[in-house]
Amino acid sequence: METGTGKTDREIARAQMRWLMGLGKTVRPLALLAVAAPLVSGLLLIGQAYLLAQVLHEAIMGHTPRVALVPSLLAVGGLMTVRAMLTFLGENAGGRAAEKIKLGLREGLFAQILQKPSSWTAARPSGALAGMIVDQAETLEGFFARYMPAIIAAAFLPLAFAVAVLPVDVTVGLLFLLTAPLIPVFMALIGLGAEAASKRHVQALTRLSGLFADRLRGIVTLKLFGRAEAEAELIEEASETLRKRTLRVLKIAFLSSAVLEFFAALGVAGVALYVGLTYLGLLDLRASPLTLQAGLFCLLMAPEVYLPLRQLAVHYHDRAAAKAATAEIAALFEGLPDLNVKPVPEALQSVRHHQPGAIVIADVTIRTPDLSRTVLERIDLTVAPGERIAVLGESGIGKSTLLEAIARLRTFSGEITLNGQSLASITEADLRSRIAFIGQRPRLFHGTIAENIRLGHPDANAEEIRKAAVQACVTEFSDALAQGLDTFIGEGGLGLSGGEAHRVALARLFLRDPDIVLLDEPTAHLDRATETRVMSAVNAFSKGRTLVLATHSMTVAAQMDRVVRIAGGSLLPSPRPRNSAASQHKGIA
Amino acid sequence: MSALLFLRQFFMQRLGVFLAALGLSIITLAAGTALLGVSGWFLTGAALTGAGIAFNLFGPSALVRGLSMLRIVSRYFEKLIGHDATLSLLSALRGWQFRALIPRVPLSRKGIRHGDLVSRLTADIDALDTVFLTAVGPILSALAVGCVVTAVLATLVPTAGLAYAIGFIVTTLVLPSLLVTAARGPGDASTKASAALRMRVFDGIEGHSDLLALGAVPWAKEEFASVNQALSRAKGKRILINALGSASTQIFAGATLLVVLWFGLDALSAGKIEGPLLVGLLFAVLATFEVAGAVARYAGHLGAAQAAARRVREISASEPTVRDPGVPRSLPRGNDVSFDKVRFSHEPGRLVLNGIDLRVESGERVAILGPSGSGKSTMLGLLLRLMDADNGTISVAGTHIREVPQAALHRRVALLSQNTPVFLGTVRDNLLIGDPGADEADCWRALEVARLDSFVRILPEGLDTWLGESGRTLSAGQARRLCLARVLLSPAAVIALDEPTSGLDRETEQSFLTDLAHATAGRTVLIATHAQLPEGAVDRAYQLEAGRLVACQ
Repeated sequence: METGTGKTDREIARAQMRWLMGLGKTVRPLALLAVAAPLVSGLLLIGQAYLLAQVLHEAIMGHTPRVALVPSLLAVGGLMTVRAMLTFLGENAGGRAAEKIKLGLREGLFAQILQKPSSWTAARPSGALAGMIVDQAETLEGFFARYMPAIIAAAFLPLAFAVAVLPVDVTVGLLFLLTAPLIPVFMALIGLGAEAASKRHVQALTRLSGLFADRLRGIVTLKLFGRAEAEAELIEEASETLRKRTLRVLKIAFLSSAVLEFFAALGVAGVALYVGLTYLGLLDLRASPLTLQAGLFCLLMAPEVYLPLRQLAVHYHDRAAAKAATAEIAALFEGLPDLNVKPVPEALQSVRHHQPGAIVIADVTIRTPDLSRTVLERIDLTVAPGERIAVLGESGIGKSTLLEAIARLRTFSGEITLNGQSLASITEADLRSRIAFIGQRPRLFHGTIAENIRLGHPDANAEEIRKAAVQACVTEFSDALAQGLDTFIGEGGLGLSGGEAHRVALARLFLRDPDIVLLDEPTAHLDRATETRVMSAVNAFSKGRTLVLATHSMTVAAQMDRVVRIAGGSLLPSPRPRNSAASQHKGIA
Repeated sequence: MSALLFLRQFFMQRLGVFLAALGLSIITLAAGTALLGVSGWFLTGAALTGAGIAFNLFGPSALVRGLSMLRIVSRYFEKLIGHDATLSLLSALRGWQFRALIPRVPLSRKGIRHGDLVSRLTADIDALDTVFLTAVGPILSALAVGCVVTAVLATLVPTAGLAYAIGFIVTTLVLPSLLVTAARGPGDASTKASAALRMRVFDGIEGHSDLLALGAVPWAKEEFASVNQALSRAKGKRILINALGSASTQIFAGATLLVVLWFGLDALSAGKIEGPLLVGLLFAVLATFEVAGAVARYAGHLGAAQAAARRVREISASEPTVRDPGVPRSLPRGNDVSFDKVRFSHEPGRLVLNGIDLRVESGERVAILGPSGSGKSTMLGLLLRLMDADNGTISVAGTHIREVPQAALHRRVALLSQNTPVFLGTVRDNLLIGDPGADEADCWRALEVARLDSFVRILPEGLDTWLGESGRTLSAGQARRLCLARVLLSPAAVIALDEPTSGLDRETEQSFLTDLAHATAGRTVLIATHAQLPEGAVDRAYQLEAGRLVACQ
């Protein structure tokens, strides 16, 4: 990874790991329980294996009747029950800890995205961002719920088992002590490859989410152009790429498991051979004869010594996946977001004295978000309080850009002041209560028409919403719907025509009480008659307020106090179209 | 489990590979079982034989080594083959799902949202990977090995055999099905919450500037938080069920082991079996329960997989919006279009079109005017069969459009709809959707007619400039013109334009409309607009009023 900060890959990886581990801080008690339960269960296993070996020894060597073995058998049963309970406690605690971490992460990431300027989100594929929050966050479950307990168990239990076996048989105990630490060395070697493969895998996954979101958005268009089959193949192809990359990650994971199992098998076979040879008298390393109980105990413990390591190998790709997800988050955010920083709560608004706002734009230059092009260059504009201005210009010339800059939705150089106060110095809450901005492609959110209108003013009651809907000519179509304003509309206003969706967004305006109103092509999708009705509502509403609107409609421009035109990156005064121009629109030429 | 049955066809296509994976998984489990059994038997035998007495050491020890190697190799390949086959199945499922969507879009009337759809194609299909890998495969191999162990036990110690059979059936069949049943509710809830969460994220990202401008960011966060918590709650329940499953499997496995031992001890003291055999059997029983743990651990995932499968299948099971005719006619040459007594309502009792009669001759340009929401878009949608009219007929080239294949209709008629997007890709990629065979010159010509050529020329990489999602690097008007160019590039002889100039400034709009005749030379054009039409732009114009067309003079 190439970054301009001069940090090495290793430093970056370490910082990302720290960030990842930092997420776990909030759930320490649960995480501790998740780690402790397998450890205690492991220790109890020693007793269980010892007792089981004892039962078999006494039955086979001592010919003890089974009734006499009942207490030992009950003890084994008891230990099994306790261990099952520990399994329950551990798994549940680990899962819940991971769940809490994911909950916080998703919320934190979403909040981070919303804190960015809107140009930041606009420059990123929404499918990929959604994939990061919904799918990538999921990968942390494996890391916190399984990998973390597994690595602690792998560090501690093999040693504990070896120590437990030592008093029973020194040779076997030493064998365990010596072979167990070798395994992590092999694992680390394999793990290096796993990380690179995981990273490529996560990238493929993010790309796939972005592609799906994009193609599904335009699936009707693709269908009508007969491109559906080609796109289905493209999706299969992208999916196959993902398969190949996933498989590469898994191959490494499986190989590391196989290597581990090989060593575990060697260990178990070594113990079996040693115990067997000792019984047969072919090997004599002990001072006292080896009992059947001791031999069986060693044999029962042998696979268990390697089991925590094998489980670690199984969950090792959970670590790689979590690291890759972290790297992906870092890549999308250009650095890892600090999720603990809560936005500073702004001071409660004092009661605002409504006054029409003056806007002064001085020497403002605005470039495209990727800085490749200058949209507006060193423009100046003064809008008097209560003045109504129309901004004209070809599409793509920068009208929306100008309005967005005034609404502080876009970065610029130069100075914009509202009532003499620099735009940058106004608090967010204050700014939003003073400025109302309705964009050119306003978003309708998942909910009913009424809920969407209510966004203009969260405390608005049904009556106020209805009134706003009437003003924006929403009721003209909503009244024909069975559920009226309570009709459910999808994200993005699915089910409404362009003009209908725009009017719903416009209705939000009438619920607000701003000093300054910024409207971007408020009547673009409307027919003349509806335009006239909507504009008369806008004109009535903007009395005593400052209004800046971008438009292509001469009829609309004619109703304003002043008209400016954008051309070639500059702002020029323009004659106001004569009101009689409106008469042209009555019929068709 | 019925929700998963539709996956059968995909399994069948890869039957050989899945059977191979299953075979390997049985070998792995059998080798493990035999390994522990032989080791226990061998050690006890050696201990009983004692020093100095001849004992065949090399047979059993070779067997132990052979079995452990066999287990390692078969497990490696089992996992590899199983995962490969599963992932290729998922790829095929994605393609299948996308193809199933085609005849069913637009989906807005079915109430399925974009974010939800993305979830179906990604997360839901991913959730199905557990079906074979962690459920079907382990259960089948556990049953196979369990049967053999039961048979051996039943021959030697019938009571122990019975106890084992019961214990094994409980742990590999009864408990997992209880878990699956219990996990169904939470699985369903988490799958739905996850899709809802994705919709909230899309809302937040795509409506970001609106949220900022409205000061509604806290609202968006609250909406997100409530779905987020619902997701977490559902997942929490699933975790609880999984943990309960693991613990109860452990208890049943332990109890079975003890009962088998109890009967075994009886058989031992009765002299029916030898000590080494008892130990060997006991260890083998212990080994078979290894897989039971895995089955229980993933049974909970199967609940989510079922919910996902239901959602995936839902779309293909729904009625297509329109159907191809059973015996399609070929579409004859000709570019004329006619609407005959066409009636349509979006919902019962709300007629949008109430008897539309319109005849457009080949090469004619006709405008449909009328207030927004009057049904202009509906008319054009009907012509492309995005939905079918309730009554009346629509014909192209004198042929009822319901009698020809949709593909043929779509080759003949191209539509610029109001919500057509700019796709993730370059300017060229976007244009070529209209005509994959178009060359450089064709692209520029289309851009020129759409009045976008001068803008694209100043872009640093021209036609190969990468456009962000939904063309957000373009202004609304530029995006519209790119989509217009795409339609003009298509070889379709009939062109339907729905508000082609929305978002365009008046001058550009007027010059495009003035040029319309030249741009669409020879093609039939139906244009729905509320723009002011310059002289000669169209041959005729109609006003759409109260569901009927009225000729404008």
